[in-house]
Amino acid sequence: MNARGFLACLAIVAPVTPALAHAFLQHASPGAGAVVASAPKEIALEFSESLEPTFSGIEVSDATGHNVEAAGAVIHGGSLHVALSPLPAGSYRVVWRAVSVDTHRTEGSYSFKVKP
Amino acid sequence: MSRPTSHLGAAFLIGAFFIPAGADAHGVVGGRFFPATISSDDPFAADELALPTITAFNHETDYDFDYSKSIFPGFAIGIGVGYIDATPPGDPAATGFSNLHIAPTLELFRNPEHEFIMSAGLDWEIGGSGSMSVADRSSTYTPTIKFGKGFGDLPDGIGYLRPLALTATVGYAIPGTISKSIEWAGALEYSLLYLQNNVRDQGFSAFVTRLTPVIEFSFSSPLDPGGGGTTGTVNPGLIWSGQHEQFALEAIIPVNHATGDTVGVIAQLHFYIDDLFPTTLGTPIFGGKR
Repeated sequence: MNARGFLACLAIVAPVTPALAHAFLQHASPGAGAVVASAPKEIALEFSESLEPTFSGIEVSDATGHNVEAAGAVIHGGSLHVALSPLPAGSYRVVWRAVSVDTHRTEGSYSFKVKP
Repeated sequence: MSRPTSHLGAAFLIGAFFIPAGADAHGVVGGRFFPATISSDDPFAADELALPTITAFNHETDYDFDYSKSIFPGFAIGIGVGYIDATPPGDPAATGFSNLHIAPTLELFRNPEHEFIMSAGLDWEIGGSGSMSVADRSSTYTPTIKFGKGFGDLPDGIGYLRPLALTATVGYAIPGTISKSIEWAGALEYSLLYLQNNVRDQGFSAFVTRLTPVIEFSFSSPLDPGGGGTTGTVNPGLIWSGQHEQFALEAIIPVNHATGDTVGVIAQLHFYIDDLFPTTLGTPIFGGKR
């Protein structure tokens, strides 16, 4: 099949499905490597695609590995929020997994610190 | 994706052997996104389209088309063909279609925790399928081992090295008429997306975050006596990866005079078919998506 033939096939099939993609992290608060003066009350992540809530999630843990989320993650579209327990000064690890609504999977992790 | 004939001259042949093949797969392993590399193959079996790949190097310009279709999760078959416009010094100009390439890839092993993937592939250049003026009449078979490794598992103390990733391939080319050779290639990447999201937020714009500086390399080491020395190119450049497509631009720097005497350029527009058509063209024919 030559290029023209293939693109003709694409043109036929393309309208059938919306274009979705992997959900990549576009913004995080606090962000990767951040050193914040006051303890954040939540972690807020923004993704490039809408998420499938059932299969997406987040864990936040302190330096000893204990989870510090105060509640479950709240997901609306491409936003993922999780409330945190009061955080003392220290280093924290955020681990997230995102499944876009077309079931493509991505994941990531980063650390941030709360100043004494 | 070009494989010129012997009657274009030995030097031209050696140089043109390094006009890179196009359709390579992007992929995700663990927290690592690997963009599609353009001068070397990478280890993913995916649904992708490279159209076009334009290469200008060594008195030759190639226009390549490559498409990869997943048959079942972890196994894809690529098809590629190109149009060659060659003006070798001392030889008459020649134009025409390159030979057709068929390239199945099977993913063998994935380790998300260590951002590692290994796969096996075969490139079958179908001799005689291209134009007589520019394409070899005999087939070449190149079984290849491929791997990719992201360095996100490095310790935080050297966190700024964690965005690094390496892909590499080693193949054994079995041509019909010229020397057998080891084909070795790869890419060293530094993902600004990984840096921004996993190491330290640099405040990059959305556009800059999607850039990946890359140094690709592609070498051929003949095995038979009289096959000549190793030739190859080193290709520094940039890849910009969007949600459904990517654009890449690289310089082509020959490593010795046997490869070429001038710097070339390669550019590619690449579409992630699995993201563009996630429920139709972008899924494996059998077995659902990965």
